[in-house]
Amino acid sequence: MNTSNLFRKAAPLAVLAGLGLTACQPDLEKDFSPSNGSADFSNYIAVGNSLTAGYSDGGLYLEGQQQSYPALLAQQFKNVGGGEFVQPLFTAGQENGSGYLRLAGFTAAGNPITANVTTNLAVRGGTAAKPLYTKFVGSVNNLGVPGIRLSDVETAGYGSVQGNPFFERITPDAQATQTYLARVAASSPTFFTNWLGNNDVLGYATAGGGASFLTTTADFTAKNAKIVDALTANGAKGVVATIPDVTNIPFFTTIGPSFRATLAAANVPSAAPFVYTTGTLAPGQPNVRTTSTLAAIRDASGTGALLLTLTASPYLALYGQPSGKYWRDFYAQARPTLPATVPNLSVFLAAMQIDTTKAFGQSTGNPFPSILVLDAAEQTLVRNATNNFNIAIKAKATEKGLGVFDANTFFAQVATNGIVTNGVNNTAGYISGNLFSLDGVHPTPRGYAIIANEFIKVINNTYGAKVPTVNANDYRGVKFP
Amino acid sequence: MKFKSLLLAGSALLTGTAASAGGYQVTLAGQKNNGMGGVGVGLSLDQAAMFYNPGALAMVKERGVHIGANGTFARNSFVAAGGNQQRELRNTVTTPIGLFAAFGPSEGKFRAGIGVYTPFGSKLQYADGWEGRTSLTDIDLKSVFVQPTLSYAITDQLSVGAGLVILAHGSVNLQRDIPLPDSFGHVELDGKAETKLGFNAGVFFKPSDKLSIGINYRSKIDAEVKDGDVTFSGINSPVFQPRFQATKFAATLPLIATTSIGFGVMPTENLTIGFDASLANWSAYKTLRFDFDQQVNGSTFSESRREYQDALTFRLGGQYKLTSGLTVRAGGVYDESPVKDGFVTPETPDNDRLSGTLGASYSFGKFGVDISGQYIGIKKRTQTQDDLINNGTTDRIAGTYKTNVVVAGLGLNYSF
Repeated sequence: MNTSNLFRKAAPLAVLAGLGLTACQPDLEKDFSPSNGSADFSNYIAVGNSLTAGYSDGGLYLEGQQQSYPALLAQQFKNVGGGEFVQPLFTAGQENGSGYLRLAGFTAAGNPITANVTTNLAVRGGTAAKPLYTKFVGSVNNLGVPGIRLSDVETAGYGSVQGNPFFERITPDAQATQTYLARVAASSPTFFTNWLGNNDVLGYATAGGGASFLTTTADFTAKNAKIVDALTANGAKGVVATIPDVTNIPFFTTIGPSFRATLAAANVPSAAPFVYTTGTLAPGQPNVRTTSTLAAIRDASGTGALLLTLTASPYLALYGQPSGKYWRDFYAQARPTLPATVPNLSVFLAAMQIDTTKAFGQSTGNPFPSILVLDAAEQTLVRNATNNFNIAIKAKATEKGLGVFDANTFFAQVATNGIVTNGVNNTAGYISGNLFSLDGVHPTPRGYAIIANEFIKVINNTYGAKVPTVNANDYRGVKFP
Repeated sequence: MKFKSLLLAGSALLTGTAASAGGYQVTLAGQKNNGMGGVGVGLSLDQAAMFYNPGALAMVKERGVHIGANGTFARNSFVAAGGNQQRELRNTVTTPIGLFAAFGPSEGKFRAGIGVYTPFGSKLQYADGWEGRTSLTDIDLKSVFVQPTLSYAITDQLSVGAGLVILAHGSVNLQRDIPLPDSFGHVELDGKAETKLGFNAGVFFKPSDKLSIGINYRSKIDAEVKDGDVTFSGINSPVFQPRFQATKFAATLPLIATTSIGFGVMPTENLTIGFDASLANWSAYKTLRFDFDQQVNGSTFSESRREYQDALTFRLGGQYKLTSGLTVRAGGVYDESPVKDGFVTPETPDNDRLSGTLGASYSFGKFGVDISGQYIGIKKRTQTQDDLINNGTTDRIAGTYKTNVVVAGLGLNYSF
């Protein structure tokens, strides 16, 4: 026998091996083929506030809009019969929208320095305090309106130039008196998400309980029912989301611990006095002074009841110094709305009973302002309101057979344990945590991607669908210089 | 002299694959064995007995050289938990080899030999931008063992043998992406293992022409990298750069011990059937730890749970001599995975394996040619994020893996 004979005998084996090479790629895709279940995604409408609009870094701008959770959901719905999803996107050249915060760098001590982005805005007029934005006419699937409260949904003129500029932007001039509720009712969705109500607690909380107000439970419950009734009028299916406990967000969890750590490093005893006001901060209002100690401010280990807001950051270095900086800033901001009886700063200070020669935050004469402090009583009010609102949201969802994304439970877990996405750790920490943007309240694109995935899980569970999730790591956290 | 030149010729080709036994073990030493499901502990087929059971070497009548090379072609698919996009490896081909030469007096009771083989290895290159990129993008793990061996036939029925196992070459190249808040950096760990010693010993008993029994033990060797190179790339922000300054790393990977028993049955002169059972002591692999010379993102080490468990392998195979020149072979393997549920990592996307093998030899007097082919199906394996959270193993990715491997082998024999 010769070699060619051998190769004739070997040839079938080689062919067999060759077949194996081409045929052995496992096919897993068939195990995970998407399906819409019992839901119809052909006209998806997103109802909500800034979180739904894609607001991030203290502003609404194109990148945030493009990575809003409704945009990501609509992108995933395309796998299962989803239709076109129109967002009121800012155009190229005006891509910075309302303007936003960027991270400019860090101080020598490692504290972040933020700066405002003020170029390529979509501002068409109005005032600096209340600008008007370039209009977006035509039908819109993402009805997220930054700043809207559930208590606002029946307010006529909310879409006029006197109303909310983000709702005004998408309200046709001919329908300036159309309420948000009417706009929602006219959207005729086949599928919807509804995440309204955050601002009914958030505005009060972020002002340290020193401004704004909490919506009453009765008003919240009634208007939530009207919105959900409007969305389901044509038999649409959907998911509603609960309101997270805002005291878990970096806006409230960042500054107190770093303030405590800074003072401890400077050997300031935790028994040193800390004096702050409670209640509404305005001339003529009884701003009660509470004398406490530094130990009352929540530190990194979670001890202490007082939460300091992110906006307190510029004033903390003045603790213990004779400084009127906060009051001058406050006066400058309040000036347009002050009565004629308060013509200048010294009258203003006298009306507020402030003596700027006293040690700021240490003396009852120069207290830390309530706007920068959320105390235990205010936290209780916020938490009770949140719980009552969430009861109303869940009850209405149950009545209509809707899915519920329990964002409150979800974010409480994230605040405690963080969340790992495909091997990457994310936490509720400011800047370093990847989830929250520079304003300390609104998510980053990563945070929004995770929210989209949580919505998808609820949709899949509720409607027997198989909508694929996104890879959250493809979306960024905070952008660094 | 001859050995050395053969070794050098071979070493350029040496590399292993995780695709041919549980974990990162590779059992592709002899081409005849490959065709028979990898049995060999209870047989005395050829010089590759040095690997399977040095005790059987003295019973191999022919003195000679066996050299074999394999091409392994792995096809891996992965779908991340919740997703629907199938990810496939960028590159899937490796070429493990084996070389065995045995000498001794033609009628004597001694055999001496030397073996070179690649018992552990892994090479996987995942798709660009895949979901598990921060666990692993690329791994290339190589080991070459050199084993001088002595075997002695105490009686016509009983022989013993042992080899000094030298980890002559070991290398690891491991790459992953680093998650930064707004981008991904990349790190490459590349190192060579210290030379280490172990042993491979066995007993072979052949009470009759129709039956043989073998027992084999291969000891553990810790592959230890003391001075590996760390290279960061793609970390552009001056904020992050100072956090990634390490240049050196150290790590230890256990190349685990294996205990095997094998039986050979020869019902007729032309038919040989082998059965092996092996226990691999994978429980030695608890964690994978890297120590760095400087901080890497705030820590001077990284540690990742492995918690492998001991695993059994069962092999059954046979050969039939069709003509004086031609022998054909077939076999099958069931291989338990050492990787527990919720501990699967991208380096070894492992599960229980079921393999079928075919092989043939043709001999031309002193020369012989062996070919072998194997199809290895690694069972589909899913781990959820909850599994990972419960096990403290969230440094890897949840999802579903499935791997199939084809191995084609070619061997050449020359008998003195």
